[in-house]
Amino acid sequence: MIEVRDLAKHFRVHRRPPGLRASLRSLVRREHVTVRAVEQVSFTIPAGQVVGFLGPNGAGKTTTLKCLTGLLHPTAGDVRVLGHTPHRREPAFLRRISLVMGQRNALFWDLPAADAFEVNRAIYGLAEAPYRSALDELVTLLDLEPLLTKQVRVLSLGERMRCELAGALLHRPDVLFLDEPTLGLDVNGQAAVRTFLRDYNARYGATVLLTSHYMGDVTALARRVLVIDHGTLRFDGDLAALVEAHSPHRLVRVTLREAVPAQTWVGLGEVSEVDGAVVTLAVPRAETAAVAARLLTTLPVEDVAIEDPPVEDIIRAVFAHA
Amino acid sequence: MRDVVTAYPPLVRSATLVAATYRGRVALSLLTGFFPLLLMGVWLTIVAEGGPPKGWTTGDFLSYYAAATLLWNLSGDHVVWQWDADMRSGDLSVRLLRPVHPFHQYATNDLGHRLIFLTVLVPALVLAALLVPGLDYPVGPVRLAAVAAALVLAYAVSLLMASTFALIGFWSTQTSNAWLLWWGLGSFASGWVAPLALMPDWLRSVAVVLPFRTAMGFPVELLMGRLDARETAYGFAVGLGWLAAFAVLYRVIWRHGVRRYQAVAG
Repeated sequence: MIEVRDLAKHFRVHRRPPGLRASLRSLVRREHVTVRAVEQVSFTIPAGQVVGFLGPNGAGKTTTLKCLTGLLHPTAGDVRVLGHTPHRREPAFLRRISLVMGQRNALFWDLPAADAFEVNRAIYGLAEAPYRSALDELVTLLDLEPLLTKQVRVLSLGERMRCELAGALLHRPDVLFLDEPTLGLDVNGQAAVRTFLRDYNARYGATVLLTSHYMGDVTALARRVLVIDHGTLRFDGDLAALVEAHSPHRLVRVTLREAVPAQTWVGLGEVSEVDGAVVTLAVPRAETAAVAARLLTTLPVEDVAIEDPPVEDIIRAVFAHA
Repeated sequence: MRDVVTAYPPLVRSATLVAATYRGRVALSLLTGFFPLLLMGVWLTIVAEGGPPKGWTTGDFLSYYAAATLLWNLSGDHVVWQWDADMRSGDLSVRLLRPVHPFHQYATNDLGHRLIFLTVLVPALVLAALLVPGLDYPVGPVRLAAVAAALVLAYAVSLLMASTFALIGFWSTQTSNAWLLWWGLGSFASGWVAPLALMPDWLRSVAVVLPFRTAMGFPVELLMGRLDARETAYGFAVGLGWLAAFAVLYRVIWRHGVRRYQAVAG
């Protein structure tokens, strides 16, 4: 479905120091540097899988996505998506994919979304019946009815993103690339988009490659993650395996009925947070069950909860380690 | 190709809807659509003060610049600004992801905008031709058909020339400025600044083989009945030649240029 082998993408960019003198000098003598945005990236994604693509800003996520959608020509390496070479941008390929960019408007800014959807119908050559069926379904799932007749430019960010998603999915793409689809949305907006994407994947078996800075997007949608940093792939595997590999501890959250001396925790784990009667201990994974049992039998405990550290912390640790 | 043709009507329609969204924009665009009449005013003053240059009378200038107004509004060169803005902002990415080549998306966008203005201008011109003394187009069915073909050719050449030029944007951020220079030079060879009949012989002999005249002077001269059969055939041959040349040039430059696209932002 998606096969990437030794992908590299380099950009030649103009560079000059700030200031008038440097600006004038650059008129006669240009300095260029080569930015290696992506280097030797390889992975394969089978049909129907949802994969989270993680990395800090400038890591190479979006560049990779742009190579996979054919927007960028790779400097080196092979990319195949649905059996096509993306940068050839054959219509047969473009009809089977979609790229949703959270920062970019693909609808007509001055027209109501309904008109923009009609244009997409023409562009993708959709017959009336399948178009109507897809549109009705998307309108229901994304609750678009009240938005269809409003100019896109007057929609809120969350409303616009729901319309963007509908516009991107009218032709029911087999592969969906999502670049920060929940960027700037409030909690409800994020939840609505996540629920919709999960349903879409389950219903149509679409392959989804998702980049997001919101870990909630990734944990809600993807079991497998790719972690990229400085243009190279650092991890490819289950999110759970990533957590296990980079977090030797689990968090044991104890709610006490009464206060206990500080030295109580010695030997049980490292105190990572104290919030009134709630104490959080970082405990080696292998000892979690035993420590929890000891806490329950030796201390005035009201409640004990065991959880993994926030994925954000783990990802931060991965990047710090890299 | 059939898919592209099918996509044209709804794409043109959506562009027309966009063009008609803001009344102020429509009004301002209609006003600027009558700019050629300013040049006509200049020439009418010259005729009034110095007599007809090379025999061109007030009626000739009226007829020439009234028709030039139509060509002014039937020019596809506005696509340069759109291409330039989209390449610089990265909005071209949205168009590249659609299964219809960006050329057709820009062309339909331009056509949709033109339609709004033409629905006002064409009736205005027809009325002017009937009511204004001296404004005369000696057209019969054959010439009218030839003029219609010349208008289509004029639009196609100006659109393709501008689109080809716009691809400079893959290498430089100065497309719009370079286009202004190109257009400025071309305005002497197109018949826009003055009818080519009034230009020096050397400029006229160069202009008849350049693409600018196809996009402006040729259809106007044809409409005014100033071209015989041989000159008409020659004008069409030159226009079609440039159309083919720009089509080839566009494909070659596109193939090399799109590899350099950096899809900035987003």
